[in-house]
Amino acid sequence: MSAEESASGTIYALRRAFQETPALRAGIGLTIFFAALGTLIQLVVPIVVQTVIDQDLLGDGDVDIGSVVQKGLIALGAMLLAFIVRRQALVRLAKASATGLSELRVRTFEHLHKLSILHTEAERRGALVARVTSDIASIQDFMDWGGVGLLIGVAQVFLAMVAMLFYRFDLALVVVGAVIVYTIMLVFIQRILARAHDKVRQRVALSLGAMGEAISGLPVIRAYGAEEETRVKVADALDAQFRSEYRTALLGASLFSSAELFAGLITAAVIGIGVVTGVNAGMSAGTLLAFLFLVNLLVQPIQTLVETLNHAQSAGAGVRRILSILDTPIEIDDPTDPVFLPEGNLNIQFTDVTFYYKKKAPLFEDLSLEIQPGTRVAVVGETGSGKSTFSKLLTRIHDPISGEVMLGGVPLSRIDTDDLRHRLGYVPQEGFLFDATIADNIKYGKPDATDDELHAAITDLELDSWVAQLPEGLATSVGERGGQLSAGERQLVALARAWITGPEVLVLDEATSAVDPALEVQTRRAMERLISSRTSVTVAHRLSTAEAADEILVFDQGRLAERGGHDQLLAQDGVYTALYGDWIKGTQKVD
Amino acid sequence: MTTEQTSLGSMLREGSAIAVRFAQARTASFVLAVIGAALFVSAIVASAIVIGNVTDSLIVPVLDQGEPHEGLLWPAMWAVFAVALWKALAVILRRTAASFLQFRVQADARHDLIDHLLKLELSWYQRQSTGTLLATSDTDVRQGTFILAPLPYGIGSSLLLVGTVVLILLIDPWLALLAFACLGAIVAVNMNGAWKMFGAFREVQTLRGDVSSIAHESFDGALTIKALGRIDLEKDRFEQASQRLRDRLIGVLQMMATYRVGVEGLLSAITVIMLVAGAARVSDGAVTPGDVVTIAYLLSLLFIPIRIIGFVLWSIASSRAGWERVQSVYDVTDLVPYGDAQPEPDESGALVSGDAVSFSYDDGETVIADLNLAIQPGRVVAVVGPTASGKSTLTALMARLWDPQVGAITIDGRDLRSFARSALPGEVAFVSQESFLFDDTVTGNIAFGVMADDEDVKTAAQLAGAHEFILELPEGYGTTLGERGTSLSGGQRQRIALARALVRKPRLLILDDATSAVDPSVEARILERLRESETPSTIVIVAYRTSSITLADEVVFIDEGKIVAHGTHRDLSRDVPGYARIVEAYADDAEERRGS
Repeated sequence: MSAEESASGTIYALRRAFQETPALRAGIGLTIFFAALGTLIQLVVPIVVQTVIDQDLLGDGDVDIGSVVQKGLIALGAMLLAFIVRRQALVRLAKASATGLSELRVRTFEHLHKLSILHTEAERRGALVARVTSDIASIQDFMDWGGVGLLIGVAQVFLAMVAMLFYRFDLALVVVGAVIVYTIMLVFIQRILARAHDKVRQRVALSLGAMGEAISGLPVIRAYGAEEETRVKVADALDAQFRSEYRTALLGASLFSSAELFAGLITAAVIGIGVVTGVNAGMSAGTLLAFLFLVNLLVQPIQTLVETLNHAQSAGAGVRRILSILDTPIEIDDPTDPVFLPEGNLNIQFTDVTFYYKKKAPLFEDLSLEIQPGTRVAVVGETGSGKSTFSKLLTRIHDPISGEVMLGGVPLSRIDTDDLRHRLGYVPQEGFLFDATIADNIKYGKPDATDDELHAAITDLELDSWVAQLPEGLATSVGERGGQLSAGERQLVALARAWITGPEVLVLDEATSAVDPALEVQTRRAMERLISSRTSVTVAHRLSTAEAADEILVFDQGRLAERGGHDQLLAQDGVYTALYGDWIKGTQKVD
Repeated sequence: MTTEQTSLGSMLREGSAIAVRFAQARTASFVLAVIGAALFVSAIVASAIVIGNVTDSLIVPVLDQGEPHEGLLWPAMWAVFAVALWKALAVILRRTAASFLQFRVQADARHDLIDHLLKLELSWYQRQSTGTLLATSDTDVRQGTFILAPLPYGIGSSLLLVGTVVLILLIDPWLALLAFACLGAIVAVNMNGAWKMFGAFREVQTLRGDVSSIAHESFDGALTIKALGRIDLEKDRFEQASQRLRDRLIGVLQMMATYRVGVEGLLSAITVIMLVAGAARVSDGAVTPGDVVTIAYLLSLLFIPIRIIGFVLWSIASSRAGWERVQSVYDVTDLVPYGDAQPEPDESGALVSGDAVSFSYDDGETVIADLNLAIQPGRVVAVVGPTASGKSTLTALMARLWDPQVGAITIDGRDLRSFARSALPGEVAFVSQESFLFDDTVTGNIAFGVMADDEDVKTAAQLAGAHEFILELPEGYGTTLGERGTSLSGGQRQRIALARALVRKPRLLILDDATSAVDPSVEARILERLRESETPSTIVIVAYRTSSITLADEVVFIDEGKIVAHGTHRDLSRDVPGYARIVEAYADDAEERRGS
């Protein structure tokens, strides 16, 4: 985040936050009205107290208890009314802020999911979690502690200044001038404060990221004896966070103390000028004391305001981080005018597709190819040749930089998202599982699936015997990230999860790479029998898949080097032949 | 998390104990903050006195009695300003010291947390969610140290409480008694509020943990979620958690609003009650009207500490609720036990043996059952078995990621458990199926936890077949991984993970299906080089390809946690049908295809 952004930012950021979340500003007018009304009613109490002291206690003659009690009752009544109205204001504010921020949290979460940042920057997930937790919390703090106070405070300062102008114009000008000078100073300091708060939010995210990485990577850390190194790395991040927090608190403390100084200066000035000019103008001591009372009324909210501004800056920093997510355009957006895929088998077409992660190193340049409906295609190539990226383009995990990928003659970017995900099944290599049972994880692909469908999917893939030996069958819990299962088992669950949706095009990206060869061959054959009429694209390092495919696409450094049937490619004696030779050498029977 | 029943008394006691512990840990800043607070409240009293004096000696004489202001004006203005300066400096002292205290204690708590987390058994982590642990470090620590914000102020301003109480007592014991009764009532109301909030704070923190946990898991599975088109489902799941938090938060804030505004109202009520009672005492002739005015002023001073004491009570509830979640992590005793054996930098291969080893993960299902195994130094051993037969677990046991419940694994006769912390990796390197890379440079990822110069890193990368593609990265070995755009393919990640193991020149190298995405020829080259070195490492490799297996001197075939056969590939493929079925699956498949 640049310095200019944060400087220009807090008012803009908070305004944006209100724009983005209607619930935050819902009924805000009435809330402010209640708060102001309550503050006004509350003023009755000191006025009554003053009257009792001046008239009843210090007045001439004996104390009239009846009159004192009467006034006391009025004050108590006012107090009760103020309690009801002020409580109402705070409750309304609490509801609006909690509701609005919950909405903002969910929106940020959803937006993050639509960005590619989550799967391209896997290492920074811990830091991203902060966006929907502590960044939001910083806004909540501001809303709950200062939001309305800020508005009321400004109103009070303004009213006190107006009252002063009517009371003593010359003295009022001095006060107004001082307020203006102080405000300008505040604006200047706010910029520094805003940057400091931005730094804090950034540091918090970094230390959460470091902490998250240490936890997720603990097996590796332990296997490599890097505990101390890791501890130091996290500790450094935490200390950097501490320094930025402390520095920000120092700024806040100086700011708050400047409000005290300002109050003292302005009081001293009013006394001095009042006394000197008052003699000639014939001002009474009572008038000057009353004016000093107004000064006090003006100074008090300024101190609160300065404190609130500090909170506001912290909130602003949180909002800016959230906006930086919400303002990141979604690379893979839902189509504005969605088209539904035609019935029946679907062909796949790549037309002049160019794609790169970093501009300097283009992966695909003007790639064009077509896959006929109902073909079983294997995609092979060396590590880094673009196989996985090809499958991600095909499944619209990425959109091409230029060119078009089409399914059934419709550009992917125009297909209704649900329809696309329903008709096109994609199983990536990672086989991510949620902390739930196996059945829940499979049903994740089709939440309304019946138990029969669930069992049918298992039977289709010939996984019954595997399920049978699990401690609790399909009800077995998989643990966080599926950690209770072996890597191969996780892949089987992920495969079943895609299978149960019954997609017409199935894209498997190394989906069974951790499954033992016998089981892999068995599962693949089961699928081949069942999807003989459907289109399937399998990215595989194990070339056994290629041998069984109708057609093989051979990628070499982002280029479609060869394509054709197994025998046909072998005859060409090219890239595939070399790969296959290596594979055969790797898998042939050795006596 | 702890859900044991707590009483108001124990909540206050434990909450105070937490506060005392924090204050003791950072005494200097705590004392400074208290001094700053005391200076601040005394400045408030001083400013009232100064304004009173200025009114009596300057404003009234000059404006109403026409006396000259010469010689009086400047001292009066200076006095007003000096008191303001006093206040300002006291504010700086109090706030600087208090925020140092608060943030430092938070950082200390987080240091302790990561320190402790790094010592815990992996089995404990299986029952935890990373997101919740992150929430503990972030929001629970923050919540747990809430007490440090108002505490010094509360203590410092208590001086004011004592002083004003003495003054009121001197004026009129009966009015003083009434005042104490009223203030006692306020403290009681605050205490009641704190108690009610305690339960609510607990729930809020739990819900915050849930939100964090769902977010973390969901972000983790982002690709799968997108692939299945389930963003809406995730949104719903997250929204439900967020709304539960919202509803609870609204409840808490509502309760807080009632108490906050209520206590303010009660304070005004006390002023009024005291005034009425004072008037009654005046008409009784017990006190003078001036005394009542003084008491009214003293009461307004009393309200400062009373408000803060209320805030302290609430913060105790909040801290106690947050800290119990932090404490529950500190209290986990599943520490990995270590001995004090140091690695032997002897460059020969290690003799590895497993003696009657049994192991099960948390749920009790036996994964490794009474397994005996001996691997001679410098041998290359392939571990083969069907999916979920216990291969990965066996290798993880050899690298001591887990400890067997029964039996022991030794290298050169030394039990793995006898090694000091971080010592075993001096002899053993383990590469898992999933290559975990850190948010660090390529070099940092390879020379992870070991002193290695650039030449060593390069050599290891070359051996792992990673050197070429690393050079093509935007900044070569200095490229930070995990940054946008430098996403590596699965095979590339695997090779970096492999280089990370090779750079250490381990005596025992364990590869758990860690070369699945590495081309057979590259894998063969790696194994050849390792064997050819003068002091060959012992290598245990989980593999499926016959190419890897035939490079091995011997093969261990494992099924259902037991060693079914141990011998050469030739013997096993002849004698063990289950073994042949797996290693020859591809060849059989190909033959069948050609045959049909």
